[in-house]
Amino acid sequence: MDIKTKLEILSDAAKYDVSCSSSGSRRPTQKGDLGSTAAAGICHSFTPDGRCISLFKILLTNYCQYDCAYCMNRKSNDIPRAAFTVDEVIDLTIHFYRRNYIEGLFLSSAIFKSPNHTMELLTTIVRKLRQEQGFKGYIHLKAIPGADEILIHEAGLYVDRMSVNIELPSSSSLKRLAPDKKKEEIFTPMKSISTHIVSHQEEWKKSQKAPLFVPGGQSTQLIIGATPDSDLNILTLTQKLYDKYRLKRVYYSAYVPVNKDKELPSIENPPTLREHRLYQSDWLLRFYGFRANELLDEEHPNLDIYFDPKTSWALAHLDQFPVEINKASYPLLLRVPGIGVRSAQRIMSSRRIAPLDYSDLKKLGIVLKRAQYFITCNTKYYGSVALDEDRIRKALRPTSFSADIGKTYEQLSLFTSSPKPLLLIEDSLSALTGEI
Amino acid sequence: MKDYVYDGSFEGLLTTLFYTYKEKDSLCIYKKEDYIPSLIEEVLTIITEEDKADRVYRSLLSKLSFETLTNVYHLYLSDLPQSENLILDYIRLCYQYSATINLAKNNPIIHKVENYTRKVTLEAHRMIGFVRFREIHSGIFYAQIEPDHHILPLIIEHFQKRFSNQYFIIHDLKRELALVYNKQEAYLKDFSPEEKEKLLNFANKDGFEELFKSYYKATTIPERLNERQRRSYMPRRYWKHLFEVSS
Repeated sequence: MDIKTKLEILSDAAKYDVSCSSSGSRRPTQKGDLGSTAAAGICHSFTPDGRCISLFKILLTNYCQYDCAYCMNRKSNDIPRAAFTVDEVIDLTIHFYRRNYIEGLFLSSAIFKSPNHTMELLTTIVRKLRQEQGFKGYIHLKAIPGADEILIHEAGLYVDRMSVNIELPSSSSLKRLAPDKKKEEIFTPMKSISTHIVSHQEEWKKSQKAPLFVPGGQSTQLIIGATPDSDLNILTLTQKLYDKYRLKRVYYSAYVPVNKDKELPSIENPPTLREHRLYQSDWLLRFYGFRANELLDEEHPNLDIYFDPKTSWALAHLDQFPVEINKASYPLLLRVPGIGVRSAQRIMSSRRIAPLDYSDLKKLGIVLKRAQYFITCNTKYYGSVALDEDRIRKALRPTSFSADIGKTYEQLSLFTSSPKPLLLIEDSLSALTGEI
Repeated sequence: MKDYVYDGSFEGLLTTLFYTYKEKDSLCIYKKEDYIPSLIEEVLTIITEEDKADRVYRSLLSKLSFETLTNVYHLYLSDLPQSENLILDYIRLCYQYSATINLAKNNPIIHKVENYTRKVTLEAHRMIGFVRFREIHSGIFYAQIEPDHHILPLIIEHFQKRFSNQYFIIHDLKRELALVYNKQEAYLKDFSPEEKEKLLNFANKDGFEELFKSYYKATTIPERLNERQRRSYMPRRYWKHLFEVSS
């Protein structure tokens, strides 16, 4: 099989892994080395689905001995199979990198022969890249669930980021859809990587010569909409992962129906809007000081499709509003819908010189469409309706909703007369209620 | 109204600032290459004076701040119309109220400065990703770009660090200028369109562009097409030099 065909098969097989970030690592380089890492991460291209190409994302092989229902590479699927050799991966990575097509390598693999065998092959590749090629670019490696801790630890010494994908947010879903995987096999390596990261960071603080271990941190991915798990389950799990295992990122991947299986929901479109709302909540957890239990509870286990999670939260806590733009503390400003991290910082900065007028707010990047109902400026309230939940809800509710969520689907819905995008909501709901 | 015309160099601009700072009349500053002579306006040609430029540079750094100086430099690189006049307004404002005025993000001048400088730094960041090298000879790499702003000086450090063991040239076609790195040092050099033709003739057909195109296609998820998002991250005007989308 020629290299082009292999590349097509094995990048196609890897594409449902959404992580692409190349940020947060620090790897010292010297003159004469090939490569460097950029703290902010760099995107090199964008595919027609709007996702960035930063890392060269491939599977080592898609020959798999597992039979997970949601996965296109499952053993029982009749699809073309391929496997790269160690040198092919290294060669492609170096040549692409030298031409500035990519920021580094994202290497994953199906479980070939055994978890240990697969992990050994992956480790060989990253070791050779670092030691033989002197490659200092970004490497993101999958830790294979069930592989030996020693192997995972060795790989960690060469890579910038490691991830173990949880994929299914509860053990019951895992049992149904991924019968070969065990919960412990996922969380044990995650825990061990996290412990090693912390201890290596301590070492590094003492001496900058100490070896690096996964300096870009750890991430994971959850599939959205393939199982009846609620957003509350998902966000609570996310919160725990950030608190307990100090993960850098949790990624969400709207389920794309690649397989037909009695255990899977039959959906037309991936629930991308739900995925979007989860990402918004994830940002609230990481940068806005929110906790999962503030956003959702047992009575409201799912995010509102019509309003972003911060607006939903604010509408349910109107007693805490309006806040005075010229007095409110930074953490409080961050809780106002329509004010983001950057505009909150601009408010804090400008206030040190002089109080702000309402007419200044737009210049600072505040989205007044939402913010007007939740703020006062020099004690005056500027909202177009009174501070009342129902009225604000009515004013903020999107009127042309299908157009709004149809964004993603403008290409597909061009020639269909039915309001197809609306199916999105039903899709996500059917999966939520377990009618699958 | 007076028109001040300078040679287009940063030192030239600093010299111009030296002479215009105290000017009471309204005035316009132009780069020589952009200037269209006018019959009505009085024209003053500024000749770059190293000592004046140096004085302004030091003053910006010590009396104002490193941040202010950086903003002035980024505004200069923006190549946007009237950016020199904005620089003059900006430093007048800063000298009047001290560099802390930079905190007042609601001030119209500060607001505009932030807008312009963000355009420049955003494009520099994007270009770091969008440069596509071709191997024109074993171990020598060549790329073409056509950025809106003069961002070559801002990307030198990154590329020098990243590809310290390969020769490379990044050619800004719009400004006929190239960033050249010879494994020892990196510098900017005038580059004519003829040289570009010559260099491209050497480009190897090594097949990696084809391979990357296959990768680009295979890694797309057709169920999630989102053209608008792609264009917002990777605007059409850059596509000409991105082979994976250009044809």
